[in-house]
Amino acid sequence: MGRQVAIVSAGFCEHSSKRSDVNMPELVNEAIRDCLKKVPSLGISDIDAFVTGNMPAFEGANMPELWSTDWMGARNKPLLRVTTGGTTGGTVAIAGYYNVTAGLPGIDTVLAIAYEQQSQGDTSVGLASTAYGEISILNTLGIDYDSLSRILSAGAAIGVAAYQATNYMSKARITEEDLARVVVHNRRMAAKNWWAHLRMPDLTIEEVLDTPYVQYPLRYGMLCPASDGACAMLFTTEEKAKDMCDIPVYVNGVASVANESAVLGYDGSGSAQTDPSAQIGAMRSSELAYSQAGISFPRKEIDYAEVYSPFPNQELMWLEKLGLFEETTAPQMYENGTTALDGDLPVNCSGGVNSTNAIGASAMERPAVAALQIMGKADNQVPKTVHTSIGHGWGGSLNLCTLMVMSDEPKRKWR
Amino acid sequence: MEKVGIVGFNQVKMYSDANYGRYEMIFEAVRGALDKSGLKKKDITTVISCTNDYYDGRTISNLFTVEVGGGYLADESKCEMDGAHAVLYGLMRILSGNHKLAVIWSGSMPSCYPYHSTRLYETDPTWERPLGYVNDITAGGFQMRAYMEKFGVSKEEIAKVAVKNRKNAAKNPLALAEAQNANITVEDVLNSEIYSDPVTELMVAQPCDSIAAILLAPERQALKITDNPVWITGVGYSQEAYYLGERDLSISKSMEIAGKTAFTTAGIKDPKNEIDVAELFEAYAHEELILAEALGLADKGKAANLNSEINGDLAINPSGGAIGGNPPCATGLIRIIEAAKQLRGEANGYQVKGAKKAIASGQIGMCAQNNILFTLEGSD
Amino acid sequence: MSKLTQRKSLDYIKKDYVRTRTMPGSWYLSSYKFRFNITHHQPMLEKLKEKKLIANQCSGCNRVFFPPRLVCGQCLVKPDRWVDIRDTARVATYAIAYLKNPDTGQVEEKPMILVQHDGADTCSIAELAPGINVKDTYIGMPIKAHWKENATGGLMDIEYYDPIPDDAKDIE
Repeated sequence: MGRQVAIVSAGFCEHSSKRSDVNMPELVNEAIRDCLKKVPSLGISDIDAFVTGNMPAFEGANMPELWSTDWMGARNKPLLRVTTGGTTGGTVAIAGYYNVTAGLPGIDTVLAIAYEQQSQGDTSVGLASTAYGEISILNTLGIDYDSLSRILSAGAAIGVAAYQATNYMSKARITEEDLARVVVHNRRMAAKNWWAHLRMPDLTIEEVLDTPYVQYPLRYGMLCPASDGACAMLFTTEEKAKDMCDIPVYVNGVASVANESAVLGYDGSGSAQTDPSAQIGAMRSSELAYSQAGISFPRKEIDYAEVYSPFPNQELMWLEKLGLFEETTAPQMYENGTTALDGDLPVNCSGGVNSTNAIGASAMERPAVAALQIMGKADNQVPKTVHTSIGHGWGGSLNLCTLMVMSDEPKRKWR
Repeated sequence: MEKVGIVGFNQVKMYSDANYGRYEMIFEAVRGALDKSGLKKKDITTVISCTNDYYDGRTISNLFTVEVGGGYLADESKCEMDGAHAVLYGLMRILSGNHKLAVIWSGSMPSCYPYHSTRLYETDPTWERPLGYVNDITAGGFQMRAYMEKFGVSKEEIAKVAVKNRKNAAKNPLALAEAQNANITVEDVLNSEIYSDPVTELMVAQPCDSIAAILLAPERQALKITDNPVWITGVGYSQEAYYLGERDLSISKSMEIAGKTAFTTAGIKDPKNEIDVAELFEAYAHEELILAEALGLADKGKAANLNSEINGDLAINPSGGAIGGNPPCATGLIRIIEAAKQLRGEANGYQVKGAKKAIASGQIGMCAQNNILFTLEGSD
Repeated sequence: MSKLTQRKSLDYIKKDYVRTRTMPGSWYLSSYKFRFNITHHQPMLEKLKEKKLIANQCSGCNRVFFPPRLVCGQCLVKPDRWVDIRDTARVATYAIAYLKNPDTGQVEEKPMILVQHDGADTCSIAELAPGINVKDTYIGMPIKAHWKENATGGLMDIEYYDPIPDDAKDIE
């Protein structure tokens, strides 16, 4: 049986739209330094193994972990790279967990690093290339390139999210104002976070609603930015963690359940996700992770949530799908302050993906911040004591979902 | 380390230009592996795929493979290295106790893209790539020259490895047809087209189309699924420096570390005598010698003197190795499958008699920068 | 400049970084041959010539796939039955794209919809008839395929979808 895993530290580098002062390995190094700085008793030579990941097509470097070897300190050390698109960060964190829990000889302390330097490449081309293969199949089946280009414009991440947004809005009967409220929540939170990208301390709902539509119902002001950034997390065993920090954070449940892709299926076939906001994958992920962690009443037992929401409608949707709120009630929770910093269930106090989105790293920043909130070392620390928190990520065409459940107590060994 | 069993595997035959759709090939590999071991889709709890965005011509290459790879509503993830690394990740997931059956599939179709120019994207974009002189083949040339000069090994001795592997591949029905040649001679290898002196065409593992899948289960479940599972007893992996100038190319330090870890875990003290079969991922003929030396199967510079034929002292690559067909991402996984076949006595035509312990390796990067080694044991 | 294309950016706390050397280069692969198996589409393409729609069905879970699929992911088997489906459909979900018309240079609102044909379990991407008021689109809107005059056996034989009267009783 697996060993108990603990997170002892997490580090970030400064996020910005163009980190022109560093190249990719240097960016990675910045996050690692920040991570190790918080654990004075540990040096880079004490790390036993590395896990890393990014989306390689965005920067034009294939297998960038080879290039980054020395900047990560991974020379002559075991290294594994996992990448799964938008969930890359979450997958890397989960792989970090599995590295420690597997108990392979000599591997106790594992550094997980996720990063993205989008300014080096062309993200929109990178994202569009996700579906080139399937779209070219549709072309062979008779749809001309003129209509395909229109489909393509609606097929990248934003397009997928727009379909989801209309679905959610019609289900929950909410207006754009509710979406704008989520954006304001995130951007104002980001202002208190040193590494966040879009820090807007005085943003108002009116300002967001004043921006033009990019794709109905999503407005320009509601979209996530494209950032350069990196995140590092340190995983180790229960015994070693106690020597490294005061409050180790135990990883009690992980899941990364995949559903079939939404909007466009493989080989240009359709998708059985007729309602992109139904998200069976996310629900299965939460069931799996909560059962591993022994959580029976998520709303009662979870004190803090970081969800991956580049678009505001998703933040509302994920909170419901992860079992934190009743279906279609999340917008009210934003209105009545349940999710505020001093609320009952604070959400995305780091500013979330809506304010900072270095794609490969984003999904790891969620569990990283959620862990720091338990340790009490987060940059925008919630006033109440956090015992259990979750970090979530989604990627692909709304079909990949990662979830990590953390707590300040090791999991009950009832399994 | 607790024992983990390989309970099933399947490999699509290697073709240089396969008449397959991408999803069809993945489905055939995964479905075949399940069918061969009598399992159902519902038994799968986790799926690890191994593909590369550059080799698949798309970002998020696992996005559309969820259904065909058996990952629908299963705990799915992708490892973007060699197939052997994906097996490692699957192994970790099994060892965690969270999962009962892991499917690992990997591979790609290099007939769809220029493989060697894709490898150029592995080089440092600031210093190496603009010059364009370092790619996987020239790096192989550097490595072979360094090895020959340091240990005084001749070209003929290295060509012999290619001859042996191509002759072995002729006995393997799943090997690449272009690589199978039962009558090849050392002269043929040396006189073939020069890729990057001293590396010639027939010394290079030719990229080809194939997908392979393997099933892992914990000890208790493995014994329920099959009577003769193959046990993974140890694993080691390591990565060395990136820039070729910082490394001693004539040896493989990462494989030395990987081998040491794996052998310690498996309790193998004298690899040379204890191991019966070695399936090594040699992207070039000379790498087989370098890797064998790094693992202590031969003294430094003396691997060429080792009798590594199928019925020799220590059979290396009885299946033909990577020279017998090198589907990017899948080669390391296929090495594990071939080693497992030897231990189960299923390698018709190239079976090593009485094989009890085997090793299988995988690599990625220029001159095998990151190496991984598995030690396997049969169930008698 | 129309308000639709105007990129009004919201102010945020910015920081300038030192600019070092950049290397221009291209990172995408110049060419890639996407391979796929077309055989399972053939029966559908044949039927399209007769302006009829067929879909394949998995015997394991009885799900009906339109356009046809190679493998049913839920059961991991190949669907083996063919069933007729209607050319009426519902809007499963929609989004409005803002695209520049290449002729006039004007930005036009264009609803992109996912349609679920009656009798099918999957939805696919499609377009609504031109001239439809965008505000009228809603989820669950009944629509009907508008066929090209001379069907040639391709997915483009359905040019777009026409709305048809919604006879569902309003629950409220």
